[in-house]
Amino acid sequence: MNFLAASIESLGAKIVGGFTVGYGIFAFLTQAVWSLLDRNTWNHATYDVVIKQVYFTAIQILHVFLAYVLVISWILVTIILTTARDFGLAEFASEMTIRVLVLELLPFLAVLFIALRSGSAMNTEIALMRVNNELDALAHCKVPPMQVEFLPRLIGGVISVIALACLAGLLALLLAYLSIYGLTPAGFDPFTRTIAKIFDFRIVAGLIVKCALFGLAVTLIPITAGLETPKKLFMVPVSVLRGMMRVFFMIIVIEVVSLALKYI
Amino acid sequence: MAAVAALPEDVARVALDLPLRANLSAIDNVALIPLYQRHYSAAESTRQAHAMLDRLGHADIALLRDSDMTPAQRFVAQLARALMLKRPRLVIDRPGAMLYDVPYPRFIYQLAAQADLSGTWDIYDFSWNQTLYPE
Repeated sequence: MNFLAASIESLGAKIVGGFTVGYGIFAFLTQAVWSLLDRNTWNHATYDVVIKQVYFTAIQILHVFLAYVLVISWILVTIILTTARDFGLAEFASEMTIRVLVLELLPFLAVLFIALRSGSAMNTEIALMRVNNELDALAHCKVPPMQVEFLPRLIGGVISVIALACLAGLLALLLAYLSIYGLTPAGFDPFTRTIAKIFDFRIVAGLIVKCALFGLAVTLIPITAGLETPKKLFMVPVSVLRGMMRVFFMIIVIEVVSLALKYI
Repeated sequence: MAAVAALPEDVARVALDLPLRANLSAIDNVALIPLYQRHYSAAESTRQAHAMLDRLGHADIALLRDSDMTPAQRFVAQLARALMLKRPRLVIDRPGAMLYDVPYPRFIYQLAAQADLSGTWDIYDFSWNQTLYPE
């Protein structure tokens, strides 16, 4: 009986904890949107920090990311092409390639790249800022942390995921064309027709929204996890662990919901 | 230290619990104030921050980050940031905790003389350190 009561109590605590975290994230997002709409937010300083964030999040990793995209796209295009030819479905190869790579896999790869590199760093930095009282110091100086530290990271994350996913998609399209038709303009017409058929307004809007949500997930969750950190140095790794687990969970949720909306 | 906690909002504080932003240089830490409070451009804010550090006789620490500074240099950067707030009263809270590498009452007096600014500077320190301060 005691075991049952303890289990129910533990489950209840977990559910309440989950709701508290969810509420914290939502409240922070509301505050960020409010700040985004505030005219005073948009000055040279904020623009500068946003540009710096995009540089650190997307530009710095561009060459490595594109190298990964090149290798993964080449392997997957080859697999899809070979399998399609084996089953006599060669005419569907380009459509399958675009759907699998450009719409699903590459945005996922982009968000994983940013989550592992920038999301974890962001979580650690915010947690350390909180533990070291740096946020209190900013508040004492009446320098708004939302404007200086958080909002540029959110905007930078969203822009970076969208930009990296678009670049990766373009590279994959080029690679797919070269793999299917080779160095000849002969396949340009059917290939562009396939692209036009797939990329209707709904799909493009869905892709951008998905990438934007990915961008929010890899910045918003680490920031809020960092802000939740108790003021104890040994809690910083715990905060990063929790934050990254939530990021992973949220990325999977966004991807599954996007697939369900598209194909079910 | 309840007295420090009860200080009004228009008091600028230099204290161990109000550290510099660790990933910014001394000059960037000071420049945050004109940049975000008074909406000056980045160039003008940096110029003002440099002028403040120069006034305190420590322009050489401008590009140093928190971890690269000595305790005295860190104190100067925090002081420059507090002075940049341009509040009528400045409280230096337990300087011994920040300035453990220099004879601190003299060091603070020297900085105050160099800063040549209006306003009141108060030092809050433990009673057992009273002998350090000349009458």
